[in-house]
Amino acid sequence: MSARYGMVIDLDRCTGCGSCMVACGAENNVPALPQATARTGLTPMLVRRVSNGLDGNLRREAFIPILCMQCEHETPCVHVCPQQAVEVDKATGIVMQMPQRCLGCRYCMTACPYHARYFNWWDPAWPAGMEKSLNPGVASRMRGVVEKCNLCHGRLHGAQEKAAAAGKREVDLADYVPACVEACPTGAIRFGNLADQNDPVAQEIHSRNTFRLLEKIGTEPKIYYKSNQAWVRKMAEPIGESGSPVRATENSQRISEVQHV
Amino acid sequence: MRRYAVMFGLGFVVALIAGWVAFPHALYVKKAQPLEFRHKTHAEKSGVAECSECHVLHDDGTFAGLPAMEKCASCHSDKLGESKAEATLVDTYIKPGHETPWLVYAQQPANVWFSHAIHVKRAGLKCENCHGQYGKSDQVKVYEVNRISGYSRDVWGHSMSRLRRAPGDGMKMLDCEGCHRARHVEVGCLGCHK
Amino acid sequence: MKFSRRDLLVWGAGAAAGLAVTPVPWKLLDDTAKWSQNWGWIPQPARGPVEVKQSACTLCPNGCGVRVRMAGGWPVGVAGVATHPVTYGALCPLAFGAHQLNWHPERLKVVRHRGAVASWEDARSVFAKACGSGRVVVIDGYPGRAASQVLSNFAEKHGEYRVVRGAETRALSPFEEWTGVPAAALGYDLENARTVVSFGAPLLDGWGAPGRFTRLWAEKAAGQDDPQLRVIQIEPSLSRTATNAYQWISTRPGSESALASGIARVLLEEKLVTARGPMPELTLEYAASQTELKTDAIRELARTIAAQGPVVAIARDENPAVAALNVVLGAIGNRGGIVRRSSSATSQLIADASIGAARVVVLDSSVPWNFEPATDAEVFRFAAWNGGPTKSDWLLPAPGFLEELTDVPSAPTSGVETYGIAPALTKALHKTQSCAEFLASFDSSLDSAEKIVHGRCTELFRARRGTIQSHDAVAVAKIESAQKAEEQLTSGAVWIGEPASGGSIRCALKQWPAADASSPLELSGSWPAAVMPALATKLYQESGLRESGRNA
Repeated sequence: MSARYGMVIDLDRCTGCGSCMVACGAENNVPALPQATARTGLTPMLVRRVSNGLDGNLRREAFIPILCMQCEHETPCVHVCPQQAVEVDKATGIVMQMPQRCLGCRYCMTACPYHARYFNWWDPAWPAGMEKSLNPGVASRMRGVVEKCNLCHGRLHGAQEKAAAAGKREVDLADYVPACVEACPTGAIRFGNLADQNDPVAQEIHSRNTFRLLEKIGTEPKIYYKSNQAWVRKMAEPIGESGSPVRATENSQRISEVQHV
Repeated sequence: MRRYAVMFGLGFVVALIAGWVAFPHALYVKKAQPLEFRHKTHAEKSGVAECSECHVLHDDGTFAGLPAMEKCASCHSDKLGESKAEATLVDTYIKPGHETPWLVYAQQPANVWFSHAIHVKRAGLKCENCHGQYGKSDQVKVYEVNRISGYSRDVWGHSMSRLRRAPGDGMKMLDCEGCHRARHVEVGCLGCHK
Repeated sequence: MKFSRRDLLVWGAGAAAGLAVTPVPWKLLDDTAKWSQNWGWIPQPARGPVEVKQSACTLCPNGCGVRVRMAGGWPVGVAGVATHPVTYGALCPLAFGAHQLNWHPERLKVVRHRGAVASWEDARSVFAKACGSGRVVVIDGYPGRAASQVLSNFAEKHGEYRVVRGAETRALSPFEEWTGVPAAALGYDLENARTVVSFGAPLLDGWGAPGRFTRLWAEKAAGQDDPQLRVIQIEPSLSRTATNAYQWISTRPGSESALASGIARVLLEEKLVTARGPMPELTLEYAASQTELKTDAIRELARTIAAQGPVVAIARDENPAVAALNVVLGAIGNRGGIVRRSSSATSQLIADASIGAARVVVLDSSVPWNFEPATDAEVFRFAAWNGGPTKSDWLLPAPGFLEELTDVPSAPTSGVETYGIAPALTKALHKTQSCAEFLASFDSSLDSAEKIVHGRCTELFRARRGTIQSHDAVAVAKIESAQKAEEQLTSGAVWIGEPASGGSIRCALKQWPAADASSPLELSGSWPAAVMPALATKLYQESGLRESGRNA
């Protein structure tokens, strides 16, 4: 039976610490180059900060971890790639990016509605000796190619091997834990097999207050988000019923105006 | 016209000889393994009957393609016989505590992921399927390295044309794909790549 | 006819046609492609088996348990330890890149004397001479370790031992005078608290052992309208803790003491608490004017605070008024409040600006880089990374991340006593020596840190208290031998004492602390490493997640 790996990210639990970003960089041998900026950096997991649009002591912020949404339907990047360097894996549902096949045209970066793809502007390089700390489970890339989150395929490999050695067909989710899921201190990122009805994450995607980003464009992402705060949920759909932008101007449920002098 | 045909033919023949005879000879260079290991000796004399006794498949799925020095040292901590090979093993590697720098016939590029656990345990492939009858050999196989790519000749295969190959001769991606196609096992790119 | 150029060209055409049906062009293409992937300057990860080993992160005094993946003898990845009794498996963002720190460009590789390269022999001879001719002050940033014992033993004979405290410990220091219990023996029983009032302490962003409170909050409060654990964050600007708190109160910076006093007054006047504490002198109106909150708002806040107990108040740094608020809240020595972790810790001299006359000052590598002793003495600073311009005369390269065996005393804010051992997981990259080793080498009568660790394990075993937790918790009383206990601790298990095993605390606070200026908002934390892991820069430089220079 094929799996469909996905996530539910609880935004009420995300404190914006950034552990997931650092752990992702370590797992995927992503360099941290001194010349990289927010526009040119390589962050397969990127936590963005949003606010409720209010000022002063009514302001609240939320943090949204953005990774490849693993689009299931008419995956935009797969459609546009001239090299067939990315495809949706039939067995796992993972949108697999092969940097070794990519020629760096960056068409996929334009196509991705979630801005979840990053280009190697420079040769990945580390200070002398630091290459000894690279993760052997993930191959290194070169400059001029696009990369993105592959749901820690290196860890999937390890889990598959372990299952095979134990004579099992199915991967045990206790062995397949992506780096961001493992690193999150609050357990905000929950990972599971959406095709398995008994998986708690597969059940959670149907719960109240769970949503996906840009649902209306129909890419059927497998990364779900969850928040009990209405203003956070509203930010996922910036275009309202009337076609005009929705502004989050309402208070978080728990803000009471503390009277200031 | 006849002269042109002759000249063309001469050039053609010279190129054929250069390409099929001289080129492989020049491209590959033989390298000696650190010592003359004999699989047959180990199978017969020391009762190591199964490949898996030294080429261990661990519980977590990882595979020791090259046994670590501890494995050799578990029997050869001191010399058991008279051979020069064993003397080299004990004096140069075991006693000083260095791993033996074996040259790997099946060495793949760094971005390749191959799981012995999946192929041996799940697919039920025998070692001979891909590695040939190496386990019964009484000589260490000749290692020829490709001067340009740095990989062993076994990856392309001994046959330069890649036609009429013995099973296990050739470990390019094409060979993996061929077997997968024949057995109808579909894996995506990241199924075999890191 | 003679062989002409035309013949050559035709011959060449034949040769080209012939080559096309040989392996040459196809093989050359294939081989050059492979050749281009393997150039020597392309960084490649190690090949070979991957092992997982456990140790503890020693970059700050919290000693969070870490699981490290090793390949080829080098660390390639860090994760938390789910069964750890203080961190619950969570770490701070910096830990995940810490395995690369030993190769950081700012790693101290050689001895430096006022900027110029020097040798260990030079340092030793100067130190030996200076030691003989005057008082030596040894300063420790991570007290409680076996290495700390070595430093202290040396200093006893030659001068004085002092500690630098982190902000979390400074917040507990007012209780020393009122209870007679050293701050090093106090902790917070957050697991049983139901309301936590933080006066600027970044509870969800690096306070204490960073994983501990974030885990508790995630389970008991995140996303819930009526949480079991209410966090009330009092802070001028919207920090990560503030935006996630049950309630965020924005007050004027510097007014925390006044607010704490005002809240205490309301709690006592309206009899919202059963404890009887000293009444603050300042009026509610004064507190309102300082904080720029209305008096009604302060009343409302006090009522919210008292609504769901047990309540504990946590200050960002040393703040007597906030500490006194805890007295009024009945948090001293009670469940959910401030507890006495152990009975054995003793008072220690604090290192601060004035350390008195000395001939030599020695700074252990655990002392934060921005700590500069105000002294004319010759300063020997041990450090693994160079943090920039410094007044220290000597910079001595210390072991880096997981390069040296050390033990892990209780985390400064923990409510239970813990003990662990952090084995070295990699070999030292450079010729380094820890401060403890250096000092011990001058006095052969001193026990080494390893010997002291060994002794501590034996003591622990003999006391037959507490449990050793790895995957399961095993009572110490059931462990076969001291050696077994030490083996377990060395492979990542943690010893946990009984909760609040230090006993009861009697608080003798009779008068509300004098209204002084609130603790300054200085950002000196207990993070001693002078540099951040390379990957952590992504949080600042390659994203808008954090702005540097601000604790946000």
